Amino acid sequence: MIPFIIRRLIWMVALLLIISFLTFVIFYTLPSADPALLRAGKQPTPELVATIRQQLGLDKPFYVQYVKYLDRLVFHFDFGYSYQNNVSVKSQIFDRLPATGALALGGMLVWLLVGIPIGILAALKHGRWPDKLAMGAALVAISAPVYWLGLVSLYLFSDELGKFPLFKGQGAYPSSGNIFTNPGAVIPALILPCLVLAASFAAVYARFMRGNLIEVMSEDYVRTARAKGLRERRVVLRHGVRSAITPIVTILGLDLGILLGGAILTESVFNIPGVGRLAFDSIQKSDLPTVQGTVLMGAFFIILLNLVVDVIYAFLDPRVRY
Amino acid sequence: MKRSLKWTLAASMLAALAMFVAACGSSNKSSGGSSTAVQTQQTVPATAKQGGKLTYLAAGDVDYVDPGQTYYTFGYMVLYATNRTLYSFKPDDSVNPVPDLATGKPEISADNKTITVHIKPGVKFSPPVNREVTSKDIKYAFERSFTKQVPSGYAGTYFGSIVGAPAKPNTGNYKPISGIQTPDDHTIVFKLKTAEAPMVSQALVMPITAPVPKEYAQKFDQKSPSTYDSHVVFTGPYMIKNDSTGKLVGRTPGKTIDIVRNPNWSKSTDYRPAYLDEVVIEEGNADLTVASRRVLNGTASLCCDAGSPPAPVLKQAVSRNKDQLIFVPSGGTRYIAFNTKVKPFDNLNVRKAIIAGMDRNALRLTRGGAILGDVASGWIPPGIPGFEEAGGLKQNTDLDYLAKPQGDPAVAAKYMNLAAKQGVPVQNGKYAGTQKLLTIATNADPGKKTAEVAQGQLQNLGFKLNFRIVPQDTLYTKFCGVPKANVAICPNVGWFKDFADPQSMLDATFNGNNILQQGNVNWPQLNDPAINAAMKKASIVPVGKARNEAWAKINHMIAEQAPAVPWIWDKTALVASKDVQGVANGYYTTHDLSFTSMK
Repeated sequence: MIPFIIRRLIWMVALLLIISFLTFVIFYTLPSADPALLRAGKQPTPELVATIRQQLGLDKPFYVQYVKYLDRLVFHFDFGYSYQNNVSVKSQIFDRLPATGALALGGMLVWLLVGIPIGILAALKHGRWPDKLAMGAALVAISAPVYWLGLVSLYLFSDELGKFPLFKGQGAYPSSGNIFTNPGAVIPALILPCLVLAASFAAVYARFMRGNLIEVMSEDYVRTARAKGLRERRVVLRHGVRSAITPIVTILGLDLGILLGGAILTESVFNIPGVGRLAFDSIQKSDLPTVQGTVLMGAFFIILLNLVVDVIYAFLDPRVRY
Repeated sequence: MKRSLKWTLAASMLAALAMFVAACGSSNKSSGGSSTAVQTQQTVPATAKQGGKLTYLAAGDVDYVDPGQTYYTFGYMVLYATNRTLYSFKPDDSVNPVPDLATGKPEISADNKTITVHIKPGVKFSPPVNREVTSKDIKYAFERSFTKQVPSGYAGTYFGSIVGAPAKPNTGNYKPISGIQTPDDHTIVFKLKTAEAPMVSQALVMPITAPVPKEYAQKFDQKSPSTYDSHVVFTGPYMIKNDSTGKLVGRTPGKTIDIVRNPNWSKSTDYRPAYLDEVVIEEGNADLTVASRRVLNGTASLCCDAGSPPAPVLKQAVSRNKDQLIFVPSGGTRYIAFNTKVKPFDNLNVRKAIIAGMDRNALRLTRGGAILGDVASGWIPPGIPGFEEAGGLKQNTDLDYLAKPQGDPAVAAKYMNLAAKQGVPVQNGKYAGTQKLLTIATNADPGKKTAEVAQGQLQNLGFKLNFRIVPQDTLYTKFCGVPKANVAICPNVGWFKDFADPQSMLDATFNGNNILQQGNVNWPQLNDPAINAAMKKASIVPVGKARNEAWAKINHMIAEQAPAVPWIWDKTALVASKDVQGVANGYYTTHDLSFTSMK
């Protein structure tokens, strides 16, 4: 196991390097705005543009910029300085991680608590109306884009705009502070965003769980368990669900990793200042260091959680050995 | 080319200064030949409730807090509430500045080479500096803005004539400027190389004149770029919350700006009433529909930095929440620019045909219709001197292709047929060329909608477009503002005032001598010798009717060259919640936090 983890960690570093290089290449290849011109005002003189270009390090060749970036990143854990906000990228990302983390974990909690039981119920009532109802609802939830669902939920349920003002709205999170310093204000502010974020995930997980469980429940060992006279509840939970849930752990790791890199749409709709919104803003403003930082952070979480999932897999499935 | 730009800018400043001097020295506000002061539709209340906390819903962040660097509307909103410049504008008059840190109007020597300004005693910096402002602080504010660490967007352009100012601004380190002298703590003298005192005086309204304490700021200014932006100290009625070292803990870039009262501000030295106790700018409200609805339905809030609310929201608000809206003339023109260097737009008749065929009213509807501005027929907008002389709202309508806002297919066909005689491929009164014309449009509404309407109308006239949408910033910095990008049509360009002078509207945008290889704003790349010469001549005409007429004539000459389709002189709609008395400043065309109050 240990050599496997070490091997994966080495791959992780290599992957992050490749991703950082690709982000650099994409930024230089695609026609994004010129950061120096953006900061130079309405009628910039060539000298002013040149000075700003020099300040931002954009006067150097592409490879020099990249090597310098890597040097700072690898040896100083320094993601650089935001062109747009004039602060270090690292401080921006770490400032915004709690919001993204709280949203992602809260969403995950909701979709697991909703999606898994519904999936189990649908599998056990396979072909009957509870199954049809659950899968119909899942289809709707999967089909609804997050930004649309977010806006509709704001207009229906937020305390600022809603017809049924049940939850805190768009202005709640920015005025509530940090999950660590003020959880009493932050948690209510995250309820609606978490529900919206979780909707499509819950639907996917319910469908996935249902499919897996239907398949597992027709296995010989399940029939054997029933033949042994075990209670149906025990058969379902111990023999069926335990087996059917294993693949879900894999996608859970991936999904959580992606969300920790920033739930861009949910954060934008609900104005939650997380890593996703930071990434969105920085892409719009051609703020390469921040784009790099958020992309690397997202990639880091995805790769790390993949590793964690692989390790957990070994414990869940005795057949898996590394 | 550069000399020409500086010369024309200088001349326009000269003209604008004359208005300033007239305003300071006389009660006659119509010295410019026509009464051109932009009146916001919200008048300043005589008295208002003291106290209260507001939330301002913003899409993005300010460009800078540092007065040496900020150069955009939203930044100005924060700057003029938190800092005091030598001169500034009251909300309801964007033409005639009033003394702010200064005690009176600038004293200009007979040879126009020296400006003396006396400053008020008793104005103090916010904590942690806590001392009285002296003229040396203003001197340092200027000097730092010429360094490479503080790349000011206009220091060289407006103040480059000061004796000892670096020949190449923003390329070197700090050095004192000998031409800025401080004979005592309350007097600052500007010595100029050339007789440009009138125009330099006019620019003393710019943020660069806000004092900066050298002993405090220098350590930040030694870094490149300067980090003073996150350690600014303030002289205005408000300040951004800071800690004991001066670090702006109240600002988290991209998230919030917490503006609180400056404990060292003395009302007796200021014309601002400063009713509010605190303003929190909540950033990230990029969805204008949601943000404006939140303000209209909510309490203690203002909106929006990113433009007017979307048309459906605005339409509803006009009928239901009229007293929550303020319309501020933006002092600019939006237009669709054709690249006159690209075929077939190098043909004058083709350009005239397009203008004639365009339904400008339909274009205006994409921004919200008549409530958000008049259909434009030229480039001197309402509120700018020369507007009346140009014919007001009817300017250039003597030209048949600009006569009908809804477009005139017959006139379009007439000009297209004339173009056909000059070798342009035309069939049945429509363009019949096969090349796809590169058209770069913005990817965000309402500009995207405007571009799509324009696209449809151009296709009706027979043009085939290579229609691409990009972010607005990319549009300017990589395409429309870069001649070598060879963009044929830019449907989302517009030009807005730096100050109220017709030259400032026409010179940068249509003078062929001002075409730049990057950051170009003469988007049609119009280079007509007659227009260039007329501009040079008009730039030195003193302020008054003659100047206005000269520029009005140039406005007509430009229209005769048909380089673009002007379609709206727009207004910005600002929104306040029902318990807020929102006041807008006509100079920077957004809310004036120092005059806004709770009801």
